[in-house]
Amino acid sequence: MAKILFVNPVVREEDVPRHIPYGIALLAAIAMNNGHLVQIYDANAWRKGFGVLPDVYLADDWDVIAIGGLTTTYSFIKEACRIAKEVAPDAFLVAGGGFLTSMPQDIMEWIPQIDLGIVGEAFVTWPEVLEKIDNKDTDFSATLGVICRDGDGKPILNNTRPIIRDLNTLPAPAWDLFPLEEVYFKNSASLFSEDAYRIKRRIDINASYGCSLICRYCWHLGTTGDMLIEKDSNGNNDVVFTYGRNIRYHSPDYIIDMVKELKKNFNIDFVNFLDENLMTMDASSKRTWLKEICEKWIAAGLQPSSRRPGGKAAAPGEEPGVYWSGTSHASLHRPEILKLMYEAGCTHLVYGLESFDPGILKNLGKGTTAQKNIDSVGECMRSGIMPIPNIIIGFPEEDFQSVRNTINALIKLGIHARPHFATAYPGSEWYYTYKESIKEQYDGDLERYVADLGDATKITAVISHNFTGLELLGLQEIVAQRNLRVLDQAEKYWGRPGVTNVAAPQESFNFRRKKIDGPIDGSK
Amino acid sequence: MSELMKGNFEVKRKLDVPDVSDDSADFKNEFKKKALESIGGSMVFVEREMLFWESTESADGE
Ligand code: B12
Ligand code: SF4
Repeated sequence: MAKILFVNPVVREEDVPRHIPYGIALLAAIAMNNGHLVQIYDANAWRKGFGVLPDVYLADDWDVIAIGGLTTTYSFIKEACRIAKEVAPDAFLVAGGGFLTSMPQDIMEWIPQIDLGIVGEAFVTWPEVLEKIDNKDTDFSATLGVICRDGDGKPILNNTRPIIRDLNTLPAPAWDLFPLEEVYFKNSASLFSEDAYRIKRRIDINASYGCSLICRYCWHLGTTGDMLIEKDSNGNNDVVFTYGRNIRYHSPDYIIDMVKELKKNFNIDFVNFLDENLMTMDASSKRTWLKEICEKWIAAGLQPSSRRPGGKAAAPGEEPGVYWSGTSHASLHRPEILKLMYEAGCTHLVYGLESFDPGILKNLGKGTTAQKNIDSVGECMRSGIMPIPNIIIGFPEEDFQSVRNTINALIKLGIHARPHFATAYPGSEWYYTYKESIKEQYDGDLERYVADLGDATKITAVISHNFTGLELLGLQEIVAQRNLRVLDQAEKYWGRPGVTNVAAPQESFNFRRKKIDGPIDGSK
Repeated sequence: MSELMKGNFEVKRKLDVPDVSDDSADFKNEFKKKALESIGGSMVFVEREMLFWESTESADGE
């Protein structure tokens, strides 16, 4: 059996830690089920800085140190890997997750300490890798779904690992290996709705993988049938992301059993669904999946007290049910399902409305319209569920009229928002479409761009064809103030002859605008 | 002391990290966060650790 240390990197430092890393929690459970010894150091939860890492690395003689997270954890991971190889050079350093899968070749070059990367879904690859390490076999040249190194340290990307077909074969994540009482439960409440503000003990679950839509800024982690691995023009394997999707769900029974266990073991009162989009998944299931979850939620006694006929909110700590939240979609939600979701305990739903401009929405791949976006806010609110709209500015085709359309809708709907900036996160279609422009804006240094990425509240690389960073910062404030007068004035004096675009689109090997599904295992 | 690492076995060398690792660092960070949040108007924030300024006085005091 191998001795494994997981390190969960710091993410979104500007906020308190709120999210148990679901992927790492699952991989820890899988490793333990396979007889391995596991410890987790949750650097994001503890926020003790890099100073404590040497002690963590020296706490035992690790066979494997495993680290991974989304792209914005890059800088933390890079430093954590450097320290790991310095302090515990004999441990085999394995990385995985979004930061690696979106750009495996670059990451292996930028972080030379990584011995092996797991690319895409790790459910099958991870235990296979552990078994080999346990057998002192570190030749991974024939292992699917990894990027390893040849004798000279050059990264070699192997072929795609088919994703698993039956999600219900997965064990429950190892929640108890995270500081629930010490950290996470203290940060359970959120300001998204009154009910969500009252709750005390939240744990997130991921009930489905995939989303049938193709928003240009979104990325599906290479874990949803969206990824192929093919030879580039130099004959080297590289990742190719597509519009392909292998949509997968946990069955409603699996989900209800999981929530019942969480209630029993941790007395939770809230679940946030991490799913990319509950409503697109409901549409893909022909409107059966969410309905069944809600009905079974109520039948299992998980309906919160305030949602029961004639019921009222329970005293803090005495809630017999479980509230929940997730993500929705403006043109795919329906009054019937929203009503049922409310009854079952849904408190708020995030709507990625993004813009209220018809042209921008048409090009975005979101499958919604300005009118549907406007209607969705009231439709959701009428069900009792709080809609949480997301707004973005700085789209490639953003202009003064599109900003005006968005401000007008915000005023009409009574929404106050400081919009995010359109950002091309690695893996997304935007990233590959604007990669050259991005590099240019960072003096050719792509690593600096990746290290600069945060939560899109500040300008990184501009992908707008019309506006510079300077102008977008002004427009962000104008939208936040909903100030049409200053917008009109800005437009009147804008436009200088001879200024070329900041961002220009390009074709790329790494993105295929086609519905080609990545492999899924053959069993039915 | 909180249990900084959790797992399915006992590690050989227990971590010896006090509960509140560095009070002053926490306080400084919290202060910086609050100060940065309130920037605007007459409120500004100067980073202590990021000072690149060097005295214009030369070493011999001229
Ligand atoms: C929860 C979540 C967060 C949490 C943090 C989560 C965490 N600690 O892991 C918070 C809320 C902080 C967050 C923030 C953001 N997020 Co987010 N987030 C998610 C979300 C909803 C769920 C992640 C999850 O648990 N998935 C399920 C698990 C099973 O998947 P997984 O973690 O990827 O793990 C699998 C593999 O990747 C791999 N793996 C993962 N970790 C490791 C580690 C090792 C060692 C190994 C071997 C393998 C491995 O194995 C697992 C099994 O296959 C996803 C969407 C989604 N549904 O996946 C987006 C997602 C990850 N986020 C994304 C983005 C863009 C963001 C933001 C930038 C958004 C924004 N504009 O603000 C911010 C970043 C803010 C910041 N300042 O850093 C993108 C990813 C972008 C990227 N290139 O990495 C995603 C995919 C959403 C999307 N569709 O675009 N996010
Ligand atoms: S609807 Fe959401 S999850 Fe689906 S592609 Fe668009 S942004 Fe991504």
